[in-house]
Amino acid sequence: MNPPIVPRALVTAATPPVDHDSVIGDLHEEYLDRVRSHGRTHADSWYWSQALRSVPALLSYSRSRRSPGARIGTVVIVAVLLLTMLAVNEFAADVMCSFVRDTCTARSWPFYLVGWTDAAVFGAVLAAIVPSQGVRLAIISATALLVAIAAPIALGFSSRLTLSTWLLVFGAIPAMGLGAAAYQIVRRRR
Amino acid sequence: MAKGEFLGEFEHIVLLSLLRLGDGAHGALIRVEIESVTGRSPAIGAVHATLERLERKGLVASWIGEPTAERGGKAKRHFKIEAVGVAALKAARTALDRLHAGLSLRGAVT
Repeated sequence: MNPPIVPRALVTAATPPVDHDSVIGDLHEEYLDRVRSHGRTHADSWYWSQALRSVPALLSYSRSRRSPGARIGTVVIVAVLLLTMLAVNEFAADVMCSFVRDTCTARSWPFYLVGWTDAAVFGAVLAAIVPSQGVRLAIISATALLVAIAAPIALGFSSRLTLSTWLLVFGAIPAMGLGAAAYQIVRRRR
Repeated sequence: MAKGEFLGEFEHIVLLSLLRLGDGAHGALIRVEIESVTGRSPAIGAVHATLERLERKGLVASWIGEPTAERGGKAKRHFKIEAVGVAALKAARTALDRLHAGLSLRGAVT
């Protein structure tokens, strides 16, 4: 019987190759014990919880071993979070548009509010996942997002954006950094 | 003692668990020991990250065992506490005992 594939892949991506067997093997061993004692559903949810809670520690651990796998893992995790942030932003903008008519036609304050809040939450999530690098990673990933949007436009592959959309994208950089910084301040106070 | 030589709270817990289990304990056993004794359920990643840090400080040593079927064909990393690790635990205990000396915790929090 095998543990769920997605959390296993997540742990594999975050663990340095030298310790891959010991970490994955330890999780597998306890997973099988839990399948026998509590059933498959409980064991699956335990595995998911262990994997998600292990990633921050494994990433910082991996950095100390300078593992290229861990760096790739960090990039993959940041990219997935970034895509999630964009999807949440689209969804929130659509919901807001159905309630506040103005946001559908002219890009007004709710448009910026949703986008920047989303970016700040993303920054805070990033700071929670990679505590020691949160603010830096948030600013780097927001800048990468800006470049990813600007490059196709500059090369003529994509249509030009409106001024308000540019404002939203540029505003996302400090918003992400502030979200990450706010998370770190709250965490230190606790 | 320099700042980096002091044991962190979780390092202290992991070292004590390793001492309780004896030489040859591995990550999963240490995780379960912490959970059963303290009621705190640490992530396996946190246990391994801490063990790696303790190994870098020279407080524990590790070696790789044989792969087994109940681990999905993966090998165990066994750990043992070094004399420096025991000394660090003694120093931490002495420091805590000094801090507790003469204190009464009863009624300290209102």
